Amino acid sequence: MDLLAQLFVNGLVNGSHYALLALGFGLIFGTTRVTHFAFGPVYALSAYGCWFIASALAAPLWLAMLGGVLTGALAGVFAYLVVYRPFERKGSTSLVILIASLGFFIVLENLIGVVFGTDTKVVPAPPSGIFLWGPLVVTGVQLVQIAALILVGSALGLYLTRTRMGKAVLAMTDNPEMARVIGIDTLRVSLIAFALGSAIAAVPAGLILIKDGATPHMGFLAVFMAFVAVVVGGVGSLKGAVIGGLVLGLIESTGMIRIPTEWQSSVAFVVLFIVLLVRPRGLFGGR
Amino acid sequence: MDYVLHVMVMVALYAILASSFNLLIGYAGLFALSHAAFFGVGAYATAILAATYGLAFPVPLLIGIVATAALGVVIALPALRIGGDYLVIVTLALQIIVTTVLLNWTGMTGGTDGIRAIPRVELLGLKLDTPGKFLPLAAIVALACYAIAWRLGASPFGRALKAMRENEAAVQAVGKNVVAMKLAVFAIAAALASVAGSLYAHYFTFVSADSFTVELTIYLLTMVIIGGTGNLAGSLVGAVVLAVLPEALKFIDMPSDIADKTRLMLYGVLLIVMLRLRPQGLLPESASAHHYDAPVERPPVATQLQGAALEGEGLSKRFGGIVAVSGVDIRIESGKITGLIGPNGAGKTTAFNLLTGFLQPNDGQVHYRGQSLRGLKPHQIVRAGVARSFQDLKLFTGLTVLENVLVALPDQRGDKLAYVYFAPWLVRKQERENLGRAMAILEFVGLDARAADLASDLSYAEEKLLVVARLLATGAEALLFDEPLSGLAPNALAKVMPIFKRLAQSGRTICIIEHNLDVIRELCDTVVFLDEGRKLAQGTPEQLMSDPELSERYFK
Repeated sequence: MDLLAQLFVNGLVNGSHYALLALGFGLIFGTTRVTHFAFGPVYALSAYGCWFIASALAAPLWLAMLGGVLTGALAGVFAYLVVYRPFERKGSTSLVILIASLGFFIVLENLIGVVFGTDTKVVPAPPSGIFLWGPLVVTGVQLVQIAALILVGSALGLYLTRTRMGKAVLAMTDNPEMARVIGIDTLRVSLIAFALGSAIAAVPAGLILIKDGATPHMGFLAVFMAFVAVVVGGVGSLKGAVIGGLVLGLIESTGMIRIPTEWQSSVAFVVLFIVLLVRPRGLFGGR
Repeated sequence: MDYVLHVMVMVALYAILASSFNLLIGYAGLFALSHAAFFGVGAYATAILAATYGLAFPVPLLIGIVATAALGVVIALPALRIGGDYLVIVTLALQIIVTTVLLNWTGMTGGTDGIRAIPRVELLGLKLDTPGKFLPLAAIVALACYAIAWRLGASPFGRALKAMRENEAAVQAVGKNVVAMKLAVFAIAAALASVAGSLYAHYFTFVSADSFTVELTIYLLTMVIIGGTGNLAGSLVGAVVLAVLPEALKFIDMPSDIADKTRLMLYGVLLIVMLRLRPQGLLPESASAHHYDAPVERPPVATQLQGAALEGEGLSKRFGGIVAVSGVDIRIESGKITGLIGPNGAGKTTAFNLLTGFLQPNDGQVHYRGQSLRGLKPHQIVRAGVARSFQDLKLFTGLTVLENVLVALPDQRGDKLAYVYFAPWLVRKQERENLGRAMAILEFVGLDARAADLASDLSYAEEKLLVVARLLATGAEALLFDEPLSGLAPNALAKVMPIFKRLAQSGRTICIIEHNLDVIRELCDTVVFLDEGRKLAQGTPEQLMSDPELSERYFK
C-alpha cells in the first residue's frame, strides 16, 4: 500500500511533467496543425539555455529558468518562421510539414550535440530539499514540478479565456479556417502559439535539468510523450492535454507494481494504441 | 579499395531498405515510420539463429523474413483504422517498443550489449569475411529484393496501392479490399527490410539495438524523399547519395563524433531543402507505360444485361443525436433511371452510403438480387453488383485517366500477389484485355483522347465524365451516381445525358442524386423526394414538381 502511494505520488509528478509538455505541444498542434517534432530539440535547447545562464554566467537559478523560457520561445518562433512557414505559404500538405519537422529535429538535436557536447550538463548546486510525509518521500524539485503545472496551467487558462489575443488563439484551435474568415491574423496567432507553446515546455525542461541534467537527446522522449498525451486527451482540447499527461504519468508509475522498470516507456505507447483503437478522438477530442 | 567496397555493400543494404520503404510510403501512402524496426528484427533474428543456435545461411534469413513479415502485419493493424499523423505516431511508437524489447529482453537479445560473433556467410567453402567477398552476395540479394519491389509496383496491385494512396474511399468504391492490400504491403516491405537486416548481421558480425532507431528510419525517409516517392529507381539514387555523402565529409578535418553529428545535420538540412524545392524528389513517379495505339480488342460497353432491383427497406441512420435518415424505403428498378432529390442535408448521400456499405444502417435492410447486403464492406458490395460515385468526385488525381479506369475493372488477376509473382504472363495477358475494355469505356464517354493525361489535368466536365467512366468500369449493374452532372454547362450536359439513357436502356439499375430540375425531368422515370431524412414522396418528375408542399420545401 505504501509502495502504491509512493508510486502514485511519483506518477503525479511525472504526470505534471508530461501535462506541461502536452500543454505546450497541444497549443502548437491544435492551433497551427503542425506536427512539430522539433518540439523535442527546442525543449532540449531551453534546458541548455538555462544551464548556460546558470553555470557559464553563474546567474541565480530563477534567472536561468527565465533565460531558458526565453530561449525556448525564441527557438520555437525561429522554427516556425524559418522552417514551417515557407511550407505553409507554399500550400504544402501537413505530411510534408511533418517530414520537414523530422528533418529539423535531426538538425537541431545534432547541433546541440556539436555546440555543447554530449556529456550530461548539470546546474551547479541544485536545490536538494527532501520532504517526508508519512511513508512518502518527495523532493523539492518534484513538488515544484507539480506546482509548475498548477501555476502555468492557470496562467495559460486565464490568458486564453480573458485576453483578446488568447481568445483568438482558442478560436484558431477550434476552427482555423473560420478564424481566418472572421479576420483573425493567423500568422500572429501562429507565432504566439509557437512562442507560448515552446515557453511552456521550457519550464519542465529547466526542472528536468535541475533534477536529472541535460543531454542532447532528451527532447526525443519529451516530444513523444507530449504527442501521446495530446492524442490520448484529444487533439484541440488543452484540458484534455493536461489530463492526458496526468493519466499517462499515473499509469506509467502505478504500472510499476506489475511491470519491470525497463518496460516503463512501453506503457505509454500501449495506452496510445488502446485509445486510438477504442476512442480515436481521445478523451476530450472534438473531431 | 576495401573502403570503397565497404561503401558499395552499404549502398546495397540501403537500396533494399529504401526501395521497400518506398513501397509503403510512396506507393501505398502509408506513412509508417517503423522501418528501422523491421530492419532490426531481421538483423537480430539472424544474429540469434546464427550465433546462438548455429543455423547456417540462408536459414536464419528465411526465418527472419517470416518473423518480420508477421511483425509487419501487427504494425499494419492500427493502419487499418487510422491514417496520416496518427499513423506516424503509432508506428513511431511501435518502433520505440521494438527498440525497448531489443534492449531489455536480455536473455534473447543480449540486452544493451547486443549480440557478437555472428558467424560469417559461407558459400561453396568460401567465407565471406571481407567487403570484397561479401559484395557479390549483397549485390545479388539487393537486385533480387529490388526486383520483387519493382514487380509489385508495376503490377495491377501496385496500381491499386497508388489509387488507395490517392483516395481510400474511392478505391473501396471500385471494389478493392484495402485491408488485404495494407496487410500485404506491410508484410512485403517488412520482409524485404529484414533481408537487409540479415545481410547486415552477417556482414558486421555484431548487432546492437542502437543501430536500429528512429534516426535510421528518418535517414531512410530522406533517401526515399530525395530519390522520389513512387519511383523505386529514385530510391536507389537516394541510397547512393546518402551513402556516399558522408564520405565527402571525411575530407574535412574534424573529430569523429563531431563529424558524425555534422553528417546527420547535413542530411536533415538536405531533407528540408529537398522538400522545399522539389518535394516530388529527383525522379518523378513512374506511370505505367501503356501502348495506347496497340490494336487491342474493344468490347462493347453498354451490353444488354439482366438487371435487378436494388431495395432498401426501413433504412435509418443516426449520428449521435442527429437523425440523418429515418425509415426510408427505396426501390431502384432496373431498366429505368430513378432520381433521388431533396434539399441539402436531406440525407441523400447518407442513403447512398447505406445502400453501398459505406455506412451501416441502425435499422433496416438492403437487398440486391435477393441477397441481403447487410454487414458487407463496400468492396464486397461492388463485387456483388452495386457501385456508387461520389459527389466530390474522389478521382485518383495522381494517376492517368486510363489508370483511373483500369484500376476499377473487376476480377483482375493482377490484384492477387500469387499471380503477380508466380504467373506474370497470365497477368500480362489479362492486362492487355483490360486495356481494351478500359479504352472502350473511355470512348463510350468520349475521353479516349485524354487517356494518357493525369486526372488532375482534366477540365471540370472531363472530370465528371471520368467519374462516370470509372463507375462503369466496375462492371456493377446497379450504378448509383451522386450529383454526376452538377456544375456542367448546357452543351456538356447535352453530351453526357444520353450516356445515362443508354445505360438504363441496356438493362442496368440506375439511380442519380441531382439538383438540376431540367436534368431530372429529362432523365428520370421516377423520382424519390427526401427531406429531413424521410421519404416524403415518389412519383414521376411532373407529379412531384406540381405538388404544392414539395414545391414549398424545395422546388421554389
